Amino acid sequence: MTVMKLVSRTKLYWGLIAIFLIGIIWSPLTSSGKNIFLSSGNLLDVLRQVSTTGLIATGMTAVIITGGIDLSVGSLMAICSVVCAMLLTVPGETPALMLGVPSVLLSALVIGAWVMRFVFLNLEKSRTGISHSRDLTLDRVRGVYIPALVGIVLGAVLLFYLLPQSESKFGVLGVLLVVPAVGLLFGAINGIVIVAGRLQPFIVTLAMMVTALGIARLTAGQNNAVLPVYTGSNATADFDILRSLVFGIIPMPGIFFLVAIILYAVVLNLTPFGRFVYAIGGNEEAARLSGIESGKIKIVTYAISGLLAGIAAILYVAQYRQGKPDAGAGLELDAIAAVVIGGTSLMGGRGSLAGTFCGVLIFGLLSNILQLHNINSNLQLVLKGLIIVGTVLVQERNAREILARFRLVFPRRARSEASGEERPRKETMSLNTGGNGNETS
Amino acid sequence: MKRRDTLKLAVVAAALLSTTSLFTAHDGIAQDKKLRIGFSQATTIEPWRAQFNKDIIAEAAKHPEVELIITDGEDKTEKQVADVENLIRQEVDALLISPKESAGLTGVVTQAIDAKIPVFVLDRNVETDKYVQFVGGDNKLIGRAAGEYAVELLGGPGKAKGNVVEIWGGMGTQPAHDRHDGFHEFTDKEPGIKNLLDQQSGDWKQDQAYNIMATALRNNEKIDLVYGHNDPMAYGAYLAAKDAGREKDIKFIGIDALPGEGVTWVNNGELSATFLYATPGAEGLRQAIKYLKGEKVEKNVVLPTLKVTKENAAKIMKDNGL
Repeated sequence: MTVMKLVSRTKLYWGLIAIFLIGIIWSPLTSSGKNIFLSSGNLLDVLRQVSTTGLIATGMTAVIITGGIDLSVGSLMAICSVVCAMLLTVPGETPALMLGVPSVLLSALVIGAWVMRFVFLNLEKSRTGISHSRDLTLDRVRGVYIPALVGIVLGAVLLFYLLPQSESKFGVLGVLLVVPAVGLLFGAINGIVIVAGRLQPFIVTLAMMVTALGIARLTAGQNNAVLPVYTGSNATADFDILRSLVFGIIPMPGIFFLVAIILYAVVLNLTPFGRFVYAIGGNEEAARLSGIESGKIKIVTYAISGLLAGIAAILYVAQYRQGKPDAGAGLELDAIAAVVIGGTSLMGGRGSLAGTFCGVLIFGLLSNILQLHNINSNLQLVLKGLIIVGTVLVQERNAREILARFRLVFPRRARSEASGEERPRKETMSLNTGGNGNETS
Repeated sequence: MKRRDTLKLAVVAAALLSTTSLFTAHDGIAQDKKLRIGFSQATTIEPWRAQFNKDIIAEAAKHPEVELIITDGEDKTEKQVADVENLIRQEVDALLISPKESAGLTGVVTQAIDAKIPVFVLDRNVETDKYVQFVGGDNKLIGRAAGEYAVELLGGPGKAKGNVVEIWGGMGTQPAHDRHDGFHEFTDKEPGIKNLLDQQSGDWKQDQAYNIMATALRNNEKIDLVYGHNDPMAYGAYLAAKDAGREKDIKFIGIDALPGEGVTWVNNGELSATFLYATPGAEGLRQAIKYLKGEKVEKNVVLPTLKVTKENAAKIMKDNGL
């Protein structure tokens, strides 16, 4: 029984392991008999290929755990890729600069002020011994004036760093500062509209998806469907660092992805913020009544989702040497699929970044295997679709349940069977009904 | 009283009209009445379409008597249909259309023809032959030119040898099939040429081609030539090979030859050759103007291709202001 329990607990990893084994066994060999699939080069190729989707899926996971969804990430990535390419290749007052610099200023202002306030709150906590920040009040000087000042100073410092760069073309650091800020701003707008307007995340982010695509095209301009980035000729050579191999083997985009997902996983699992995210997804009303500032938490998850889309865009530009308004087209759906394959419930409240990591890798390895076998592109799509449904089915149900539904076997009488799962009550084909509600928290 | 006023007015108006029309008759149509030509573009987001628009705008600038109205179908059939309907309402003197797809736009093209507007179909045809003229490139022809050159690069007819990677454009699109068929008319005759991939589609995109090539490089120790159905895909494959340190062993061939893309890459020595898929922008407008001035035009104009290699790339770039 414990073995069964263990198997069902680790279902997620079994899918990954299975696909890995299929890859190894079925892999073509090099002329010297080496396994191509298993070669470090190939596996690191996969890591590099999934890093864009992976970064987006990382932000998406937290959004989905709060019970939301972010359809705008593909378009946000498009804007960011255009801004990135334009800053790198076109000097002077470009639309990208007009979009980028205010974003940086605003982000600096808000983040600077927030960090300062956070510091004051914690000082106050240790001084008074009150454990909940909502029971604390800061006076005006420490609560408003000093944080605002810090934010303004931070913004001014960044402005002094960035503006001289706009005379010529931006370097890699400037881009790394500006582009994620653009993503952050648009993501935050998503969150603010959802929270302040009390609207469905689906429709708000859908609207943002359309709007952002338009802005991306406007930024790029009618005659620039694609902005090529040739490092060393029309852009600085140090941008190359973002597609270099660290220690000669590990691709830089992969490192960005790994660092981002690990950091976010730590935040989600070990900080109050992370607990609040799960709590909001579980029952938003209850979370709000128990004193969680659900609005703020949600805005932050959308903002981070946008930020990660911005980082993904920079890596995209580095890897494919171009920024364009259709860069992230359809990516939001790939990311959602990866998140759901990873066991995160679209209903919210349940899921993990470890699962998302597996989901992203399952997707990446699958494409790699099909590609290595030179399977026809159209057939690849069919197989991918089938495997999404199959994986989610295995994720959410076990074989006995499925067979029982079709009266092929008798259902077990005891509800608490080995897997510890309840049988689904709803008669829907939906992929996320019922299921094991107490897997997390 | 009232009736007399209107009568007076009518007489004055008629007199005015007749005098102005007399004037215009003397000066010819060029002065007062501009030729209003509507152009319905499928999308402007692809580089080739952007070049297409640049070409037609540049040509229109050479004809002061022409007023060109360009609409953008935003890559959606229904938007383009609405665009054309709009142009019909505006009663343009001639309609140029580059359809997003054949079937979906045939209806509205027929509508324009019924409204007595001469229609010029550019690049992709529609399923009627009542239009005045079709202007477009021939993808099969271009595919053949690429195939012939590929055989030459791999050792010449009869003794060509090598492993070829072909990266398809969109699988459901006619241009991709034509570019494939034309190419294989030459390469399939060579027993020494081995095709490594089976219908791998990069969907015309540089990034997707990059990933296909990255995997193909892992899978095959020897690749001699890459044929991309367009330049960005050939270039994406080149970048993948470059990142794997193998670009020196491989020849890359693309199609389209846009000045800012393929021609530049050929000039940099990154691609071996690219084949011009000319935009019908300039030629289409010239033909329409010719027709409106009463000259006869042919039913079908096929734009020729051009092989762009290191020898002529620099000149083409200079001609296009690069």
